[in-house]
Amino acid sequence: MDFVELDPFESEKDLFFVFGDAAGALYFCVPFREQLLEYYSNNKNIGDVEENLLTCLADLFSQISSQKKKTGVIAPKRFVQRLKKQNELFRSYMHQDAHEFLNFLLNELVDILEKEAQAAKSDQESSSPSENVANGPKSAQANGSTQKEPLVTWVHKNFQGILTNETKCLRCETVTARDETFFDLSLDIEQNSSITSCLKNFSSTETLNAEDKFFCDKCCSLQEAQKRMKIKKPPHILVIHLKRFKYIEQLGRYKKLSYRVVFPLELKLSNTVEDADSEYSLFAVVVHVGSGPNHGHYVSLVKSHNHWLFFDDENVEMIDESAVQTFFGSAQEYSSNTDHGYILFYESLGTSNKS
Amino acid sequence: MINSANGMMSTAAAASSSSASGNAQSPGLKTYFKTPEGRYKLHYEKTHPSGFLHYTHGKTVTQVTLAHLKDKPSPSTPPASSSTFGASTGVRSAAARFLISSNGSRALSFVGGNGGSKSVNASKVGSLGVSSSTSVSSTSNFDGKGTYLIFNVGDAIFISDLNSQDKDPIKSIHFNNSNPICHAFDQDAKDGHDLIIGLSSGDVYSVSLRQQLQDVGKKLVGAQHYNKDGSVNNRQGGVLDCLLLLVPLAKQHDITMIFAAIFVLVGHNSSEGRCTSVAWVPGGDGAFVVSHTDGNLYVYEKASYHVSKDGAGDSSFPVIKDQTQFSVSHARYSKSNPVARWHICQGSINSIAFSTDGTYLATVGRDGYLRVFDYSREQLVCGGKSYYGALLCCAWSVDGKYILTGGEDDLVQVWSMEERRVVARGEGHNSWVSGVAFDSYWSSPNSGGTENVTYRFGSVGQDTQLLLWELEVEEIAVPVRRLPGGSPTYSAGSQSSHWDSVCPIGTLQPAPSMRDIPKLSPLVAHRVHTEPLSGLIFTQESVLTVCREGHIKIWIRPGVADNQSNNAETVLSTSLKEKPSLSSKVGNSSYKQ
Repeated sequence: MDFVELDPFESEKDLFFVFGDAAGALYFCVPFREQLLEYYSNNKNIGDVEENLLTCLADLFSQISSQKKKTGVIAPKRFVQRLKKQNELFRSYMHQDAHEFLNFLLNELVDILEKEAQAAKSDQESSSPSENVANGPKSAQANGSTQKEPLVTWVHKNFQGILTNETKCLRCETVTARDETFFDLSLDIEQNSSITSCLKNFSSTETLNAEDKFFCDKCCSLQEAQKRMKIKKPPHILVIHLKRFKYIEQLGRYKKLSYRVVFPLELKLSNTVEDADSEYSLFAVVVHVGSGPNHGHYVSLVKSHNHWLFFDDENVEMIDESAVQTFFGSAQEYSSNTDHGYILFYESLGTSNKS
Repeated sequence: MINSANGMMSTAAAASSSSASGNAQSPGLKTYFKTPEGRYKLHYEKTHPSGFLHYTHGKTVTQVTLAHLKDKPSPSTPPASSSTFGASTGVRSAAARFLISSNGSRALSFVGGNGGSKSVNASKVGSLGVSSSTSVSSTSNFDGKGTYLIFNVGDAIFISDLNSQDKDPIKSIHFNNSNPICHAFDQDAKDGHDLIIGLSSGDVYSVSLRQQLQDVGKKLVGAQHYNKDGSVNNRQGGVLDCLLLLVPLAKQHDITMIFAAIFVLVGHNSSEGRCTSVAWVPGGDGAFVVSHTDGNLYVYEKASYHVSKDGAGDSSFPVIKDQTQFSVSHARYSKSNPVARWHICQGSINSIAFSTDGTYLATVGRDGYLRVFDYSREQLVCGGKSYYGALLCCAWSVDGKYILTGGEDDLVQVWSMEERRVVARGEGHNSWVSGVAFDSYWSSPNSGGTENVTYRFGSVGQDTQLLLWELEVEEIAVPVRRLPGGSPTYSAGSQSSHWDSVCPIGTLQPAPSMRDIPKLSPLVAHRVHTEPLSGLIFTQESVLTVCREGHIKIWIRPGVADNQSNNAETVLSTSLKEKPSLSSKVGNSSYKQ
């Protein structure tokens, strides 16, 4: 999503909000934080580790969690500098998208961990700390689409789920299943709907026909087919991204959808391959404030110690759980309410992250 | 980038994108919907005055109560055999509530230590004592007979005449400091106070509806005031926990991380005490109950008037030791009100409903549990959990055999009192289910001879839809309405053993998995409003739907409207007056006498 820059004065701020909100949500994601801190403590004694986003983030989280003062200020300068260095997108004066940031961050962390693991392997360096955390069982991926051998890092353990994309050729009725991994689910949204309903639509059967036929390997030709997406392995942390920024072809630009999409504080996935029935609990919401895609502001809601906190710049308030409902969106197209839930973080209440 | 579209195109785009997602404005809504028995037609619409600006918009959700005022009461109203319209049909749907009022979102304050800001509200339980039970004497040329809709919007209660074409209400009552949230009417109330109103502050009023209609002002008149300023709830608010929170803060310009270690005082704040639902106790001799967001339900007895203003009338209850446990405490003084506090659950009670005969009280709440209590014994009988998320509404069948619930899992659940478990799940809403009700006026067309009983019920949701359902129950057998495709497959054990495995009295059941419960599909799905809905009521002639923003639609049943396109008014009024010839199929023996 290339959002057009509008207000250069907003951008620095927005970058920060992006950071503050998505990374803030990560901080409050307990397993993620614990593992990052563990990584940090394993790593800090090795002096010469090259600085990267992971070490910057770990450093930052560590500073936060080891803080003894009751109040204080920590400047995440290193992290932000590193971020800007690493990705052009976050360098310019653009309105940043929190979803993109989160994606970038998670993928970057995975890359770093994988590189470290490989380096460790080739060096046969038993002391490499990353091996301890990274040598989990091999991923259950059925396809070998990635060139690298898939490695399960703790980022994967927390966030990765597996989708299976089933395509049934309507001629020979062969079902082709293709698995893909995900760190978050991006859902199309509708007016006056719920996350439950959006998830259902996400997994609803879609017919491929006309211009959009499916190449069937068995029939060796383009055929009409039915396609559906199911969740094969639900992630421990389920990140749901609402596609509120939609490209409207007629307008030639993105438009923000202010639809009212309700999200429950607890959720179960029904679109799973197996009847999983495991329950998720909402622990963070990144909220986009503003009427359009090109400008705006991010605030976030985070549940900590069973209390909901509202983060807006340097203001933090404790809010009633029921106040989460004010961020559902607007039932009517034109509304003064522009605060809309954008990224939802659910944590599985079931058996702790195995895989 | 593509050159920008002109205005025409942009509207077209907006229109197309919105219609695809069902966001069309009223023109897109049909004025009828089809059912197997024929067309339901939009008959009347009721709303608040268009100029009425509700600043508090979004904070409160409109609910509607149907009130039938009989002929001018003789001093002691004879206990008619008819029932209250609203109370038993469970209309008081508790749609998700907006609690972002200023007292709901409290700024964190940096308090060192465990700062002893125990603010106990010292105000007395209202001995406002304007109580005027036989009130009608003053302006008696208006007898108020008729059927009315009572609904709340923002800080006001509106009253509309059901049988007039007039869209605007005939009466508005404004409240100063708080918003009305819930209300209930009892047409058999003996001493003239037949309407109770619960407010967001926790305050409760009982008034005479007739007296309100006779008064020309915009204030509540002749009201009995209970739980003034939420004093009863707040009295228990002494529990302060200290919590240390580490709070990373994003700071605007210099990109710094602020760190705040914050002591948070955890106590009951006033938003937790707001009313969520009120109900008259059927046959309770003027007793009523009020549920609150703090998980408490208070029992008030009309007979025990506040005796004095010196505080003897105050009720006080001990601090709740375990928020997770059900407990009942009685007031120490017999003449005080409320007479009892039931602590039901952690988190809000969203809706309550009495079975028609008053034996059982059902509650649903934030924790996702339906609970059924034996009201007079003050005991939990049974209950179970939603699939996930909070439950928002509940309603009894007239025969007391089934309870409907609706909630944040987008499901309508049917709970059997005999089996004490969920027996069916209705899947069809695309958002939260905010109102459920059995249609006790509907009778199965083919009711001849078979042992099957069919229940018709309706639900409304935040997806703006009204759904109608049918549940076919074979006598004794498991109620299943098998549907093509999604038919449930019982494992050999579960079906045969379900009689043995009826859970013991007083236990709550976990949520069964989706495949273990038969699925229902809606008979009819119709988009009735542009806004999310908050409730529905079945009457003999019509179905009423109401949206959160305070618009009410009255859908006349097939047959009723056909003959009476113009003059339906008379039909409505007369037949409503003669009142519920209960649907023949369900025995009405247990119906309130």
